[in-house]
Amino acid sequence: MDKVQYIGEHLWLGKIGHFLIILGFVAAILSAAAYMFSLRKKTLTSDIYGLKLLGRFSFYVHALAMFGVIGLLFYGMYTHMYEYAYIFDHVSDELPLRYILSAFWGGQEGSFLLWIFWHAVLGLILIKREKTLEAPVICTFAIVEIVITSMLLGIHINIGASEFKIGTNPFTLIRQTMNAPIFANADYLSLIKGRGLNPLLQNYWMTIHPPTLFLGFASTLVPFAYAIAGLWQNDHKTWVKNSFSWALFSGGILGTGILMGALWAYVALTFGGYWAWDPVENASLVPWIILVAGLHVHLIFRNTGHGAKTLYMFYLAAFVMILYSTFLTRSGVLGDTSAHAFTQMGLEWQLAGMVGIFALMGSGFLLYRWKDIPTPEKEESMYSREFWMFIGSLVLMFSAVLITGSTSLPVFNKVLSYFDPGYLGKVIKDPIPHYNKYQLWIGVFISILSGFAVFMRYKGMMWQDKQRAFFVRSGIHLGISAILTYLTSLWIELPSWQFWMLSLAGYYTVVANGDFIFSIIKGNFKLASSAIAHLGFGLMVIGTLASGLNQKPISSNPFVFKGLFSDEDVKKYVQLIKGKPLFSQGYFITYKSDTLIGRERFFDIHFRQVNDSLKTLDEFSLRPNALYANDFSKVAAYNPDTKHLLHKDIFTAVMKVPPATESVEEAKKIEDSLKYTTYEFVENKPLEDSNFVVRILGTTFKPSNPEYVKNTHDSGVGVQMNVFDKQDDTTYLVEAAIGLQGALMYTYPAAIDALGLRIKLNEQSIDNFFTPEENLLYKDYILKAGQTAQIDNSSVSIVGFDNKPTNERYKKEEGDIAIGAKLMIKSNDKSTEIMPLYIIRKNQPMSIKEYDVNSGLHVRFSNIDPATEEFTFKIAKDVKQVSAIKLDIARNVPRNDYLILMASIFPGINLFWLGSILMMAGLFMAAYQRMKSKMA
Amino acid sequence: MNRNIIIALILIAIGIGTFINASNDYSHYSNFTEAVTGGKVKIVGKLSKDKPMIYNPEKDANHFTFYMKDDKGIEKQVVLDQPKPQDFEMSESIVATGKLKGDVFEASELLLKCPSKYKNEEIAIKGKAK
Repeated sequence: MDKVQYIGEHLWLGKIGHFLIILGFVAAILSAAAYMFSLRKKTLTSDIYGLKLLGRFSFYVHALAMFGVIGLLFYGMYTHMYEYAYIFDHVSDELPLRYILSAFWGGQEGSFLLWIFWHAVLGLILIKREKTLEAPVICTFAIVEIVITSMLLGIHINIGASEFKIGTNPFTLIRQTMNAPIFANADYLSLIKGRGLNPLLQNYWMTIHPPTLFLGFASTLVPFAYAIAGLWQNDHKTWVKNSFSWALFSGGILGTGILMGALWAYVALTFGGYWAWDPVENASLVPWIILVAGLHVHLIFRNTGHGAKTLYMFYLAAFVMILYSTFLTRSGVLGDTSAHAFTQMGLEWQLAGMVGIFALMGSGFLLYRWKDIPTPEKEESMYSREFWMFIGSLVLMFSAVLITGSTSLPVFNKVLSYFDPGYLGKVIKDPIPHYNKYQLWIGVFISILSGFAVFMRYKGMMWQDKQRAFFVRSGIHLGISAILTYLTSLWIELPSWQFWMLSLAGYYTVVANGDFIFSIIKGNFKLASSAIAHLGFGLMVIGTLASGLNQKPISSNPFVFKGLFSDEDVKKYVQLIKGKPLFSQGYFITYKSDTLIGRERFFDIHFRQVNDSLKTLDEFSLRPNALYANDFSKVAAYNPDTKHLLHKDIFTAVMKVPPATESVEEAKKIEDSLKYTTYEFVENKPLEDSNFVVRILGTTFKPSNPEYVKNTHDSGVGVQMNVFDKQDDTTYLVEAAIGLQGALMYTYPAAIDALGLRIKLNEQSIDNFFTPEENLLYKDYILKAGQTAQIDNSSVSIVGFDNKPTNERYKKEEGDIAIGAKLMIKSNDKSTEIMPLYIIRKNQPMSIKEYDVNSGLHVRFSNIDPATEEFTFKIAKDVKQVSAIKLDIARNVPRNDYLILMASIFPGINLFWLGSILMMAGLFMAAYQRMKSKMA
Repeated sequence: MNRNIIIALILIAIGIGTFINASNDYSHYSNFTEAVTGGKVKIVGKLSKDKPMIYNPEKDANHFTFYMKDDKGIEKQVVLDQPKPQDFEMSESIVATGKLKGDVFEASELLLKCPSKYKNEEIAIKGKAK
């Protein structure tokens, strides 16, 4: 193909962008190398300063280059440069500006940039704040940045016959990614528009969750880099001191990011829960658990000098597990085991390499220094707080190992089938019970440990004296917890002894830590951070028991909850027919109406809670919605709605709507398949069928058919009728309408879903109501104010004027002069008032006619003579041929008045959120206090 | 003996025990032939597009049936007591979890693998200027 000179492309953006990526990559290498050389023993003291300065400067260049890349890509998205594939894939003309951030990190390249961004920001802060260990810490940062930036390089290397790809350039042109005939057109850009962001991602969660989570990911690099620095310098004290507040912050922010994900899944997606042990969820949970285990060992080491090796292992592992989770979610290896992993982008080996490099780097450093890491001779006392904290950390690590093992099944499968192609991959049969079964015991152990450990003393001091008091106190705590557990069992169901144990343990830690806050430290919040976090953990455990274990779907099957049906038979989804209440879980649930607002169709679901004697206790409405695709062709996503009560949530999501509502194509298919029969209603005689009777009540020129009302037409007519349902003994009042707009005619059928009927006003009937304009014989009538004209047996008189007239057919324009004449028309002992308009637009007279049904007069206001104060009207008598009204009736029409609803009650879910928030608050409080004391 | 080593050994023992125990929860992807034993299995297959796919929400919104061919080429009817999943026809492969009862596979869960939203899709052409 000849080289086409394309029109309108902004190639400069991609050129600068790619240059900046390469610059950032090279600068990171330079920074790492300079810092590395500054740390060599052989390096002259006089050179160290210069090398450090070079490393620092190169890191600045790296950071600036990457900020530049982000800025450029963002600018390209903002200005819709669709020639770039990434922009084409994530932005469209219709995408509201507020989602442009979501679009930015909606894809792999953008989220890598987000990750790089946070690393750069954290690196810059550390350069400023870390004096002693700057070189090894920032060197580690730079090495990590080299590897991650390489994911964006987009360089292809040919070795022999095979081609290797290093990274994907976010500035790849769309015509380079696909071969389509459209690119033969030099002006292809004027023909394409962006695909836009997946509607599921068009919400504010997508704006706040990824940056928080990625800050969490990035922050785990800080303890990792410090640990490397400690090993590198063989100084096992300084880094421990300097990194504690960072590690606490990391635990807080990573946890917050994960929680936001859970909250998003719960409130905005139709997953029907906040945690599903999905591999993608597990992948970010595991590093957090390891990090929290590390935090505890960190404290132990600072207090007693024990556990240095463990501390190194945990912090190194936490970051490596972040990389591993990146590999899991981005390489496509999870394939069909996860509902929300990224698809492949051909970087599997590079991602696996990244995990390998840093796993080797961490373990290499650790083994090299293993013998030098200090270990105290004396063992930790069994009666010390630190000993039990250490046990707790090991339990946490154990939990992380278990989760990782099960989550990594797809990886084992891949590896094994590489050696044995016939190997059948293994999967977890039932993931949720599988994980719950084991993590339940982790929850029990952690709760008990964090309950009593808080009352043990540092290094087990004065254990002999305090022993008795300790056991008495713990006994009281346990007793209170047992009572609380019993009370809880009256509220929610605890189906087996394991859950009784978990409840007891959860309450125990709440009670013990609460007691600690109030009686030991007397509410001194400076000392309360750990107790608050542990209390939060306990509440979270109870909240999980309540909301997770006792989640009750609202079902049409009333026997389900009496143990007559096994879980598998529970139909989780119910069909609601408009107006027909369903009773479940103490609620009457009614689908009242649906309303289309913009691209969203809202369903009004009314809940009425009643007691045994059917007295209304509570009433509210929920409005889950269906979001249509950008082109309105079909429903793209369903959004739930939740009623938040203090002790429980009621969650609803529409799972499906009738085909005709779901997609335009289906609606057309259904309409085409209908067979209409025409019936003539001579003298409005009713039509009787085997199961229904149709009776015409009257006609109107102001139709109230709901679909008609939504549109504007020049004029319209509606036929109102009664449809009697013989079986149900019900009468439906409906209206079939026709709207006229210029030469076009729109039909608005009446639908009676219960009878499967659709009734259209036959188009020929329109002649009964309107005479075509060309068939009318207008005559001029000149009137003065107060005068009356006689036309056959009707009289027309002017009753007034309106110089600011409104009329739905009149669209005011700048410079218009409009006058409406109020006319009273008397005919057949009835009088009506109409107001035809006379308009002067750009010196051209125009008129808007009115039609009076009663007298059958068409009236135009055609002239004003200011000199004589005479007004000219053109009036014509209707010459319609009155014949019987014809209706087209289709039978067996599929219902269009139902929806499939998933509704669930989550008892005590607020305990879960409250507990989780307290946990994070405890971590942030601790981070803040450590930071303040370090600065002081 | 060092107490830490004892703790470590205990943990390792519990760990091995847990993994042996957990292996009961694992199974390999099965096929219709193996499912005859009646246990709960996961089957990977493809939708048989030439066979009828029935979803009649008016009769029962929670009932959807279709035919699926497993990787050995055996075809069976699958019943799902849930509404028909969105974009079902577009699926490349299906993972059905459930039990074989008689000649019908009763699925409790379906996981669809759909082609990426963007792959093989025609490039979107701008509509006429509004």
